[in-house]
Amino acid sequence: MKKNWILILGSLAIIGVIAAILIYIFVYNKQQPDYSKANPDYTLNGEELFREFRNNPDAAAEKYNGKVLAIEGNLYSVESTDSLTIAVFAIEEGMFGDEGIRFAFIPEFASKIASTPPESLVTIKGYCTGFNDTDVIMEHCSLVE
Amino acid sequence: MKQIFLSLLLLTLIVTGVQAQKYVTKTGHIRFFSTTPMEDIEAHNRQVNAALDAQSGDLVFKAMMKSFQFEKALMQEHFNENYVESDKFPNSTFKGKIVNIKDVDFTKNGKYDVTIEGDLTIKDATRKIKEKGTLEINGDSVEGLSTFNILVADYNIKIPNAVANNIAKSIRIDVDVNFEKMAK
Repeated sequence: MKKNWILILGSLAIIGVIAAILIYIFVYNKQQPDYSKANPDYTLNGEELFREFRNNPDAAAEKYNGKVLAIEGNLYSVESTDSLTIAVFAIEEGMFGDEGIRFAFIPEFASKIASTPPESLVTIKGYCTGFNDTDVIMEHCSLVE
Repeated sequence: MKQIFLSLLLLTLIVTGVQAQKYVTKTGHIRFFSTTPMEDIEAHNRQVNAALDAQSGDLVFKAMMKSFQFEKALMQEHFNENYVESDKFPNSTFKGKIVNIKDVDFTKNGKYDVTIEGDLTIKDATRKIKEKGTLEINGDSVEGLSTFNILVADYNIKIPNAVANNIAKSIRIDVDVNFEKMAK
Protein backbone atom coordinates (compact mmCIF):
# COMPACT_ATOMS: atom_id res chain seq x y z
CA MET A 1 0.00 0.00 0.00
CA LYS A 2 2.79 2.37 1.03
CA LYS A 3 4.70 1.45 -2.13
CA ASN A 4 1.67 2.42 -4.27
CA TRP A 5 1.50 5.87 -2.69
CA ILE A 6 5.20 6.43 -3.27
CA LEU A 7 4.70 5.37 -6.88
CA ILE A 8 1.71 7.73 -7.35
CA LEU A 9 3.46 10.70 -5.71
CA GLY A 10 6.65 10.02 -7.65
CA SER A 11 4.72 9.88 -10.93
CA LEU A 12 2.90 13.13 -10.13
CA ALA A 13 6.19 14.84 -9.29
CA ILE A 14 7.73 13.68 -12.58
CA ILE A 15 4.65 14.82 -14.55
CA GLY A 16 4.81 18.19 -12.74
CA VAL A 17 8.48 18.67 -13.61
CA ILE A 18 7.88 17.70 -17.25
CA ALA A 19 4.87 20.07 -17.43
CA ALA A 20 6.96 22.92 -15.95
CA ILE A 21 9.76 22.32 -18.48
CA LEU A 22 7.28 22.22 -21.40
CA ILE A 23 5.56 25.43 -20.22
CA TYR A 24 8.96 27.14 -19.93
CA ILE A 25 10.05 26.05 -23.41
CA PHE A 26 6.81 26.43 -25.36
CA VAL A 27 4.99 29.23 -23.53
CA TYR A 28 7.27 31.41 -21.41
CA ASN A 29 10.35 31.10 -23.60
CA LYS A 30 8.51 30.97 -26.93
CA GLN A 31 10.45 32.89 -29.57
CA GLN A 32 8.90 35.34 -32.02
CA PRO A 33 6.92 33.64 -34.78
CA ASP A 34 8.50 33.39 -38.23
CA TYR A 35 6.25 35.82 -40.09
CA SER A 36 7.82 34.87 -43.44
CA LYS A 37 6.05 31.52 -43.10
CA ALA A 38 2.75 32.89 -41.76
CA ASN A 39 -0.39 32.86 -43.86
CA PRO A 40 -1.54 36.44 -44.44
CA ASP A 41 -4.81 37.54 -42.85
CA TYR A 42 -5.30 39.98 -45.73
CA THR A 43 -3.80 40.30 -49.21
CA LEU A 44 -4.28 43.74 -50.70
CA ASN A 45 -2.90 46.60 -52.74
CA GLY A 46 -0.67 49.12 -50.98
CA GLU A 47 -2.54 52.19 -52.09
CA GLU A 48 -5.84 50.66 -51.01
CA LEU A 49 -4.42 49.93 -47.54
CA PHE A 50 -2.94 53.43 -47.17
CA ARG A 51 -6.24 55.10 -48.20
CA GLU A 52 -8.15 53.01 -45.68
CA PHE A 53 -5.85 54.22 -42.89
CA ARG A 54 -5.85 57.80 -44.17
CA ASN A 55 -9.64 58.02 -44.56
CA ASN A 56 -10.73 56.11 -41.49
CA PRO A 57 -7.78 55.42 -39.19
CA ASP A 58 -9.79 53.93 -36.32
CA ALA A 59 -11.66 51.41 -38.48
CA ALA A 60 -8.48 50.48 -40.37
CA ALA A 61 -6.55 50.08 -37.09
CA GLU A 62 -9.19 47.73 -35.74
CA LYS A 63 -9.11 45.71 -38.95
CA TYR A 64 -5.36 45.54 -39.66
CA ASN A 65 -3.28 46.28 -36.53
CA GLY A 66 -1.63 43.13 -35.24
CA LYS A 67 -2.45 41.21 -38.43
CA VAL A 68 -0.20 39.64 -41.06
CA LEU A 69 -0.67 41.43 -44.40
CA ALA A 70 0.61 40.66 -47.90
CA ILE A 71 0.80 44.00 -49.72
CA GLU A 72 1.39 44.52 -53.40
CA GLY A 73 2.86 47.72 -54.77
CA ASN A 74 5.69 49.44 -56.58
CA LEU A 75 8.92 49.61 -54.61
CA TYR A 76 9.88 53.26 -54.22
CA SER A 77 13.12 52.96 -52.25
CA VAL A 78 15.08 50.89 -49.76
CA GLU A 79 16.66 52.60 -46.74
CA SER A 80 19.44 50.81 -44.90
CA THR A 81 21.06 51.55 -41.56
CA ASP A 82 23.43 49.41 -39.47
CA SER A 83 20.63 47.36 -37.96
CA LEU A 84 17.66 47.95 -40.23
CA THR A 85 16.52 47.63 -43.83
CA ILE A 86 13.27 49.41 -44.69
CA ALA A 87 11.46 49.15 -48.01
CA VAL A 88 9.15 52.04 -48.87
CA PHE A 89 6.00 52.29 -50.95
CA ALA A 90 5.50 56.05 -51.48
CA ILE A 91 1.82 56.80 -51.96
CA GLU A 92 1.66 60.57 -51.56
CA GLU A 93 3.82 63.59 -50.85
CA GLY A 94 3.14 65.02 -47.41
CA MET A 95 4.59 67.61 -45.06
CA PHE A 96 6.90 64.92 -43.71
CA GLY A 97 8.25 64.03 -47.17
CA ASP A 98 7.07 60.85 -48.87
CA GLU A 99 4.24 59.11 -47.07
CA GLY A 100 3.03 55.58 -47.64
CA ILE A 101 3.99 52.18 -46.26
CA ARG A 102 7.28 51.36 -44.52
CA PHE A 103 8.39 47.72 -44.27
CA ALA A 104 11.14 46.77 -41.77
CA PHE A 105 12.72 43.59 -43.13
CA ILE A 106 13.75 40.39 -41.36
CA PRO A 107 17.59 40.39 -41.70
CA GLU A 108 17.73 37.23 -43.90
CA PHE A 109 15.43 38.87 -46.46
CA ALA A 110 17.18 42.27 -46.39
CA SER A 111 19.72 41.69 -49.14
CA LYS A 112 17.03 40.48 -51.55
CA ILE A 113 14.90 43.60 -51.18
CA ALA A 114 18.01 45.83 -51.21
CA SER A 115 18.94 44.43 -54.65
CA THR A 116 15.42 44.84 -56.06
CA PRO A 117 15.30 47.74 -58.54
CA PRO A 118 13.07 50.73 -57.70
CA GLU A 119 9.65 50.73 -59.39
CA SER A 120 9.55 46.91 -59.37
CA LEU A 121 6.13 45.48 -58.63
CA VAL A 122 6.58 43.45 -55.45
CA THR A 123 4.49 41.78 -52.77
CA ILE A 124 5.76 42.17 -49.22
CA LYS A 125 4.42 40.25 -46.26
CA GLY A 126 4.71 41.39 -42.66
CA TYR A 127 3.11 42.29 -39.36
CA CYS A 128 1.11 45.53 -39.32
CA THR A 129 1.68 47.70 -36.23
CA GLY A 130 -0.48 50.63 -37.33
CA PHE A 131 -0.55 54.09 -38.88
CA ASN A 132 1.43 56.99 -37.37
CA ASP A 133 -0.36 59.75 -39.32
CA THR A 134 2.25 59.67 -42.08
CA ASP A 135 2.92 56.00 -42.83
CA VAL A 136 1.55 52.51 -42.30
CA ILE A 137 4.23 50.66 -40.31
CA MET A 138 5.04 47.01 -41.03
CA GLU A 139 7.51 44.86 -39.07
CA HIS A 140 9.07 41.39 -39.61
CA CYS A 141 8.75 41.72 -43.38
CA SER A 142 9.78 39.41 -46.20
CA LEU A 143 9.51 39.43 -49.97
CA VAL A 144 6.82 37.10 -51.33
CA GLU A 145 8.17 35.18 -54.33
CA MET B 1 -8.67 64.13 -30.17
CA LYS B 2 -5.11 63.83 -28.79
CA GLN B 3 -4.11 62.15 -32.08
CA ILE B 4 -5.46 65.04 -34.14
CA PHE B 5 -3.76 67.57 -31.88
CA LEU B 6 -0.40 65.83 -32.18
CA SER B 7 -0.72 65.52 -35.96
CA LEU B 8 -1.51 69.22 -36.19
CA LEU B 9 1.47 69.97 -33.96
CA LEU B 10 3.75 67.87 -36.16
CA LEU B 11 2.46 69.63 -39.28
CA THR B 12 2.70 73.04 -37.63
CA LEU B 13 6.26 72.30 -36.58
CA ILE B 14 7.18 71.46 -40.12
CA VAL B 15 5.20 74.14 -41.95
CA THR B 16 5.55 77.23 -39.77
CA GLY B 17 8.51 79.57 -39.71
CA VAL B 18 9.77 79.78 -43.26
CA GLN B 19 13.28 80.62 -42.06
CA ALA B 20 13.42 77.95 -39.38
CA GLN B 21 15.30 74.78 -40.27
CA LYS B 22 13.58 71.49 -39.52
CA TYR B 23 15.17 68.13 -38.95
CA VAL B 24 13.13 64.93 -39.24
CA THR B 25 13.47 61.18 -39.07
CA LYS B 26 11.21 58.18 -39.48
CA THR B 27 13.77 55.73 -38.11
CA GLY B 28 14.26 56.93 -34.57
CA HIS B 29 15.25 54.20 -32.13
CA ILE B 30 13.73 53.87 -28.67
CA ARG B 31 14.83 51.05 -26.39
CA PHE B 32 13.42 50.30 -22.99
CA PHE B 33 15.13 48.14 -20.44
CA SER B 34 13.90 46.58 -17.23
CA THR B 35 16.28 44.79 -14.89
CA THR B 36 15.44 42.77 -11.78
CA PRO B 37 17.23 39.93 -10.00
CA MET B 38 14.78 37.58 -11.76
CA GLU B 39 15.40 38.70 -15.35
CA ASP B 40 16.29 41.47 -17.79
CA ILE B 41 13.69 42.56 -20.34
CA GLU B 42 14.31 44.88 -23.26
CA ALA B 43 12.42 45.97 -26.34
CA HIS B 44 13.31 48.06 -29.37
CA ASN B 45 11.28 50.29 -31.66
CA ARG B 46 13.29 51.40 -34.70
CA GLN B 47 10.53 53.14 -36.64
CA VAL B 48 9.88 56.21 -34.50
CA ASN B 49 8.83 59.50 -36.13
CA ALA B 50 10.51 62.59 -34.74
CA ALA B 51 10.89 66.23 -35.75
CA LEU B 52 13.09 69.02 -34.38
CA ASP B 53 12.86 72.74 -35.07
CA ALA B 54 16.41 74.12 -34.91
CA GLN B 55 15.24 77.64 -34.20
CA SER B 56 12.59 77.20 -31.52
CA GLY B 57 13.85 73.89 -30.15
CA ASP B 58 10.39 72.34 -30.51
CA LEU B 59 10.68 68.57 -30.47
CA VAL B 60 8.06 65.88 -31.10
CA PHE B 61 8.19 62.08 -31.12
CA LYS B 62 5.59 59.52 -32.02
CA ALA B 63 6.11 55.77 -31.51
CA MET B 64 3.74 52.93 -32.39
CA MET B 65 3.44 50.65 -29.35
CA LYS B 66 3.11 47.50 -31.45
CA SER B 67 6.44 48.30 -33.11
CA PHE B 68 8.29 47.53 -29.87
CA GLN B 69 10.01 44.21 -30.53
CA PHE B 70 10.85 41.81 -27.71
CA GLU B 71 13.02 38.73 -27.83
CA LYS B 72 10.25 36.56 -26.41
CA ALA B 73 6.80 36.38 -27.95
CA LEU B 74 5.01 36.01 -24.60
CA MET B 75 6.56 39.20 -23.25
CA GLN B 76 5.47 41.12 -26.33
CA GLU B 77 1.97 39.69 -26.02
CA HIS B 78 1.70 40.69 -22.34
CA PHE B 79 3.16 44.13 -23.08
CA ASN B 80 0.61 44.85 -25.81
CA GLU B 81 -2.45 43.19 -24.35
CA ASN B 82 -2.11 43.67 -20.61
CA TYR B 83 0.34 46.41 -19.77
CA VAL B 84 0.08 49.19 -22.36
CA GLU B 85 -3.17 48.05 -24.06
CA SER B 86 -1.87 48.82 -27.54
CA ASP B 87 -5.22 48.32 -29.26
CA LYS B 88 -6.74 51.06 -27.12
CA PHE B 89 -3.65 53.30 -26.96
CA PRO B 90 -1.67 52.58 -30.16
CA ASN B 91 0.91 55.40 -29.80
CA SER B 92 3.16 56.98 -27.25
CA THR B 93 4.17 60.56 -27.83
CA PHE B 94 6.48 63.25 -26.59
CA LYS B 95 5.95 66.92 -27.28
CA GLY B 96 8.19 69.52 -25.81
CA LYS B 97 11.35 71.40 -26.55
CA ILE B 98 15.06 71.66 -26.12
CA VAL B 99 15.16 74.52 -23.66
CA ASN B 100 18.75 75.55 -24.36
CA ILE B 101 18.54 75.28 -28.17
CA LYS B 102 20.38 78.62 -28.47
CA ASP B 103 23.51 76.86 -27.15
CA VAL B 104 23.53 74.59 -30.20
CA ASP B 105 25.30 75.87 -33.31
CA PHE B 106 23.81 73.85 -36.17
CA THR B 107 26.44 75.25 -38.53
CA LYS B 108 29.35 73.89 -36.48
CA ASN B 109 30.06 70.16 -36.14
CA GLY B 110 30.32 68.96 -32.58
CA LYS B 111 28.51 67.52 -29.60
CA TYR B 112 26.29 69.74 -27.49
CA ASP B 113 24.68 69.07 -24.11
CA VAL B 114 20.97 69.81 -24.13
CA THR B 115 18.04 69.81 -21.71
CA ILE B 116 14.74 68.46 -22.98
CA GLU B 117 11.48 69.37 -21.32
CA GLY B 118 7.94 68.42 -22.23
CA ASP B 119 5.00 66.04 -21.97
CA LEU B 120 5.46 62.31 -22.34
CA THR B 121 2.25 60.40 -23.02
CA ILE B 122 2.05 56.64 -22.63
CA LYS B 123 -1.33 54.92 -22.51
CA ASP B 124 -3.80 57.41 -21.04
CA ALA B 125 -1.29 59.23 -18.83
CA THR B 126 0.71 62.35 -19.61
CA ARG B 127 3.60 63.38 -17.37
CA LYS B 128 5.98 66.32 -17.52
CA ILE B 129 9.57 65.23 -17.89
CA LYS B 130 12.85 67.15 -17.87
CA GLU B 131 15.89 65.16 -19.03
CA LYS B 132 19.46 65.62 -20.20
CA GLY B 133 20.66 64.63 -23.64
CA THR B 134 23.12 65.46 -26.39
CA LEU B 135 22.87 66.68 -29.97
CA GLU B 136 25.78 65.84 -32.25
CA ILE B 137 25.95 67.95 -35.38
CA ASN B 138 27.61 66.42 -38.42
CA GLY B 139 26.85 68.46 -41.53
CA ASP B 140 23.17 68.06 -42.37
CA SER B 141 22.76 65.19 -39.88
CA VAL B 142 22.00 65.58 -36.21
CA GLU B 143 22.17 62.67 -33.80
CA GLY B 144 20.10 63.07 -30.65
CA LEU B 145 20.74 60.88 -27.61
CA SER B 146 19.07 60.73 -24.24
CA THR B 147 18.75 58.18 -21.46
CA PHE B 148 16.29 58.51 -18.61
CA ASN B 149 14.04 56.50 -16.33
CA ILE B 150 10.29 56.42 -15.94
CA LEU B 151 8.14 54.82 -13.27
CA VAL B 152 5.62 52.37 -14.73
CA ALA B 153 3.09 53.40 -12.08
CA ASP B 154 3.17 57.00 -13.40
CA TYR B 155 1.65 55.81 -16.69
CA ASN B 156 -1.14 53.63 -15.27
CA ILE B 157 0.70 50.45 -16.24
CA LYS B 158 -0.44 47.76 -13.84
CA ILE B 159 1.84 44.78 -13.34
CA PRO B 160 0.09 41.67 -11.97
CA ASN B 161 1.43 40.35 -8.63
CA ALA B 162 2.44 37.06 -10.28
CA VAL B 163 5.16 38.82 -12.34
CA ALA B 164 5.81 41.81 -10.07
CA ASN B 165 9.30 40.50 -9.25
CA ASN B 166 10.16 40.12 -12.95
CA ILE B 167 9.46 43.69 -14.05
CA ALA B 168 11.24 46.71 -12.62
CA LYS B 169 9.21 49.56 -11.18
CA SER B 170 11.56 51.98 -12.90
CA ILE B 171 12.26 51.39 -16.60
CA ARG B 172 15.27 52.82 -18.42
CA ILE B 173 14.52 54.51 -21.75
CA ASP B 174 17.29 55.04 -24.32
CA VAL B 175 16.53 57.37 -27.22
CA ASP B 176 18.75 57.50 -30.31
CA VAL B 177 17.56 59.52 -33.30
CA ASN B 178 19.42 60.47 -36.46
CA PHE B 179 17.72 63.55 -37.83
CA GLU B 180 18.21 64.69 -41.39
CA LYS B 181 17.79 68.27 -42.52
CA MET B 182 14.51 68.81 -44.38
CA ALA B 183 14.76 70.39 -47.81
CA LYS B 184 13.24 73.89 -47.67
